[in-house]
Amino acid sequence: MKLLKPTWVNHNGKPIFSVDIHPDGTKFATGGQGQDSGKVVIWNMSPVLQEDDEKDENVPKMLCQMDNHLACVNCVRWSNSGMYLASGGDDKLIMVWKRATYIGPGTVLGSSGKLANVEQWRCVSILRSHSGDVMDVAWSPHDAWLASCSVDNTVVIWNTAKFPEILATLRGHSGLVKGLTWDPVGKYIASQADDRSLKVWRTLDWQLETSITKPFDECGGTTHVLRLSWSPDGHYLVSAHAMNNSGPTAQIIEREGWKTNMDFVGHRKAVTVVKFNPKIFKKKQKNGSSAKPSCPYCCCAVGSKDRSLSVWLTCLKRPLVVIHELFDKSIMDISWTLNGLGILVCSMDGSVALLDFSQDELGDPLSEEEKSRIHQSTYGKSLAIMTETQLSTAVIENPEILKYQRRQQQQQQLDQKGSAARETGSATSVTGVVNGESLEDIRKNLLKKQAETRTADGRRRITPLCIAQLDTGDFSTAFSNSIPLSGSLAGTMLTSHSSPQLLPLDSSTPVPFGTSKPSTEPVAATGTRPVGDSVSKDSVNAAAAPAAPSPILTTPSKIEPMTAFDSRFTERSKATPGAPALAGLTPTAMERLKEQSLVKELRPRDVLERRAKPSSLSKRKLELEVETVEKKKKRRPRKDSRLMPTSLSVQSPAALTAEKDAVCLSVPAAALKLPMPGPQRAFTLQVSSDPSMYIEVENEVTAVGGIKLSRLKCSREGKQWETVLTSRILTAAGSCDVVCVACEKRMLSVFSTCGRRLLPPILLPSPISTLHCTGSYVMALTVTATLSVWDVHRQIVVVKEKSLHSILAGSDMTVSQILLTQHGIPVINLSDGKAYCFNPSLSAWNLVSDKQDALAQCADFRSSLPPQDAMLCSGPLAIVQGRASTSGRQAARLFSVPHMVQQEATLAYLESQVAAALTLRSSHEYRHWLLLYVRYLVNEGFEYRLREICKDLLGPVHSSTGSQWESTVVGLRKRNLLKELLPVIGQNLRFQRLFTEFQEQLDILRDK
Amino acid sequence: MAKVSVLNVAVLENPSPFHSPFRFEISFECSEALADDLEWKIIYVGSAESEEFDQILDSVLVGPVPAGRHMFVFQADAPNPSLIPETDAVGVTVVLITCTYHGQEFIRVGYYVNNEYPNPELRENPPPKPDFSQLQRNILASNPRVTRFHINWDNNTDRLEAIENHGPALGCGFPLSCTPIKGLGLPGCIPGLLPENSMDCI
Repeated sequence: MKLLKPTWVNHNGKPIFSVDIHPDGTKFATGGQGQDSGKVVIWNMSPVLQEDDEKDENVPKMLCQMDNHLACVNCVRWSNSGMYLASGGDDKLIMVWKRATYIGPGTVLGSSGKLANVEQWRCVSILRSHSGDVMDVAWSPHDAWLASCSVDNTVVIWNTAKFPEILATLRGHSGLVKGLTWDPVGKYIASQADDRSLKVWRTLDWQLETSITKPFDECGGTTHVLRLSWSPDGHYLVSAHAMNNSGPTAQIIEREGWKTNMDFVGHRKAVTVVKFNPKIFKKKQKNGSSAKPSCPYCCCAVGSKDRSLSVWLTCLKRPLVVIHELFDKSIMDISWTLNGLGILVCSMDGSVALLDFSQDELGDPLSEEEKSRIHQSTYGKSLAIMTETQLSTAVIENPEILKYQRRQQQQQQLDQKGSAARETGSATSVTGVVNGESLEDIRKNLLKKQAETRTADGRRRITPLCIAQLDTGDFSTAFSNSIPLSGSLAGTMLTSHSSPQLLPLDSSTPVPFGTSKPSTEPVAATGTRPVGDSVSKDSVNAAAAPAAPSPILTTPSKIEPMTAFDSRFTERSKATPGAPALAGLTPTAMERLKEQSLVKELRPRDVLERRAKPSSLSKRKLELEVETVEKKKKRRPRKDSRLMPTSLSVQSPAALTAEKDAVCLSVPAAALKLPMPGPQRAFTLQVSSDPSMYIEVENEVTAVGGIKLSRLKCSREGKQWETVLTSRILTAAGSCDVVCVACEKRMLSVFSTCGRRLLPPILLPSPISTLHCTGSYVMALTVTATLSVWDVHRQIVVVKEKSLHSILAGSDMTVSQILLTQHGIPVINLSDGKAYCFNPSLSAWNLVSDKQDALAQCADFRSSLPPQDAMLCSGPLAIVQGRASTSGRQAARLFSVPHMVQQEATLAYLESQVAAALTLRSSHEYRHWLLLYVRYLVNEGFEYRLREICKDLLGPVHSSTGSQWESTVVGLRKRNLLKELLPVIGQNLRFQRLFTEFQEQLDILRDK
Repeated sequence: MAKVSVLNVAVLENPSPFHSPFRFEISFECSEALADDLEWKIIYVGSAESEEFDQILDSVLVGPVPAGRHMFVFQADAPNPSLIPETDAVGVTVVLITCTYHGQEFIRVGYYVNNEYPNPELRENPPPKPDFSQLQRNILASNPRVTRFHINWDNNTDRLEAIENHGPALGCGFPLSCTPIKGLGLPGCIPGLLPENSMDCI
């Protein structure tokens, strides 16, 4: 055991009445007397725990102090979530504090030494009801209620969801109430008062369960506080000041029948404070010792007016340790660290001490699951004792919880909105900018700018300049339930909430608890809880990922209604065959992912939010959303199947031609016999709408002498030309540069835009199936699945009678769409969602798109997307891939993909996109994806790849003849691209060297 | 709980000649919109000996005050030299900034002010009758003494207000010499507000 008294934790010599460690263990609060007011101080924990931090002047010791209480603060308590701090004082008030994130450090004017408030904690609620000093406050498990007790003999239960609503005022004490404790199961609250009684109240009806007086008969009202405590296993309630044979004791009250047979004896004066360790322990198994199963036990610290502290284990008859002379005056409060190995003790003498135990001394703490198993075996199933994972699969048993959860969800949404707003707000306040003006500028001109008027009686009146809005509405919106449910999602959520409610419940299950909220404890326990705002995305995600699939996996065994969910999942899995399994994901989880991908409402922020908070609540919400989707699907079944055939967008000329040519080729590929357009009497074809261009074909027009001719008419912006051909025209195609027609007898004729024949007819190897024109390129696909592309202007062949065998062979796929890019690259979309382009320079088919690509589905690069032109990139790649489908689905599924996997998948996906765009010679898309890729590399910190890209783009600075380097890529100047990329690279300070290195070389090149 | 907390007072144009106006840039935070204006005063203590030489340099109303952080510059003319005892013209005195709401003072920020001749010759041999045009005023801006009072911020006029109203009245002529440590604090001024939790001091 280590003992430490950090002298710098003080209230300038004034008494400290209360101490409480934040649930995340990074800070603690003290409350007591200030200079001329009550004082609450929030301290940094690390300088207490680590000597290095204590010595480091850059590590702040005091984080914030609040002098707002008018009189001495008797109690400070953090909410279990750690979001709020409640303080109660002699000014009869309870103040609830929340951290304000939008303002930077401030100073307390006039405080000696100009101590800066590193954190800003704002009072978000003042609870007024007590008519006397508030002595103790306590948050219920899961923070649903806040209890306060006072010298006005009452205990008040506040509704945390609707401060300052009072749920109950517990009357019955006839003396000053000086201590409160909640049953860890949430069934009772106990209070101890100067009236020589300890009363236990039921939370079900807020009525008195029992009043225990016998051990207190001899007590005099001589202690300032009577902080009693309930053991974490719920078995024992230990009182403060009790008497046994005229000796001061801490009375142990058994939950079973409220028996008072045992007590902690030994203190020479009244016990002021008892505090149970939040952990339950079991004996450390030593090697060699007989491995007999030992009973779990609890640990309890007792502080007394005799200035000594004793620590007890319930398995030992004697105290584990007793420390005398630790303080000069009475001990006032004790707080355990979350890991259960340390305690902070504060005293009336104004000092604070830290005790640090080792696991050898206390034992092995049970995990939260083990703890809740004890609760469950002892008290049955109760919402209050559910752990995170259980909560997520739990059936809602009480409409109150339903409401509460909805509020929580709204709160989360609001928090998101709020934090988004605050992000922008904080940006302005941090840099001190108001309306685009820096604070400095404002200050310079403040005297001139401030509006000064005269009142009726001639006095000067100054209108102050508002430099920051306060989020005073913060608390009310965060906690209030008056916000109407928005949108249909909420509506369906409501129904999905209520449907499980109708399912049969275990009638023996007590419902003692009206509301519930997931504890963040497990998060903190994993040790990945981020400190401050420097959230490491990686670690959070890593922590979140393994947790997310678990509720589903545990579902079937636990609660019946959830199997209904499950059966639906399996149903779904039948409906979507051939889902490629993702590495490390169970099929169920995979299904889940698929479901979630359909949730349109998911935004990156949601996802991040969920990733950052792997709380059961968000998981629950997800499930509900999944269910919502399920319902939507039932209404419009198989909607997604309609989405499968690619619908083309009419944005590029290439697309247009493709669309015009909507002949879907559906001959089984095995035969490799593509459909042939039958001869028609006449047909019209719109080549483009802007400029408007039509081709009209009239077959077998009888001309002079009985010869049957076919007429081809073309009108372009009012100008018409026509020509005649000797054989029937089967199909026609046109572009702004050429018009071509395929006739019977495998003839292909090409005309200029003015109707001049450019080539003698080309004889195709077999009859035509599809004909395409883009620019000066003509593509012909024959019925035997051979593909040819010519550049008719330059009169060269681009693709020479290439067979589609390799891409169509072996399966019954069909060609669903073909298109020809402006660079004469043919792209074939197949019915299985794959798209190939023929790369003439490699003379090979390249896979450019795959709808079922697992990579595309778990890639998340949204953070790298530029905000404005999110997916506004059109081009052949977008056409073949179907642009809309890619953006919506990826992000939704990441939170349960381990970050590493996701990162790699994203990289691979982006790289393939860049390569595909390059192969398609789509410069616009290449630039778009390259930028995205680089942004992602920058965000995720991949230096080598960045460097390689930069090197290639820069090329040799000193030109050498042997260099193979091309200065352009798909028509873009590489160095210009590099210029575009460098600012992106410069955004990550890690790459500042890379940035300067290439910037300098670019500068050299420019100067040349 | 105080609805208004003063975040910072910056002393502008300091040091400055005796006759130049006082300028304080005051930033404060208001937790709830105030129904009425705040009244700010600058009080120049002419002589530490007696409050009879206190000069209220100026008083302004500041409003409307919605919730939020605000700032303004409070400018007031230099004190009238004729009201300052000749013996107290040179040396250390005090300037006070007070703020009241509904006539109740809730904060008082005091600064030590040193008036001296920048000219070494004059410093060595000060003229018998102080030459205010030569005096330089230096406000010890780094060390404000802040005293806060608890007032009733709500409209309902109850007992508290009555008590508090005495506070400023009593405190106006605070004795500078009284407690050097607490400086401008007002010991005993508002005894009713001192907390009474000394019961467990054994």
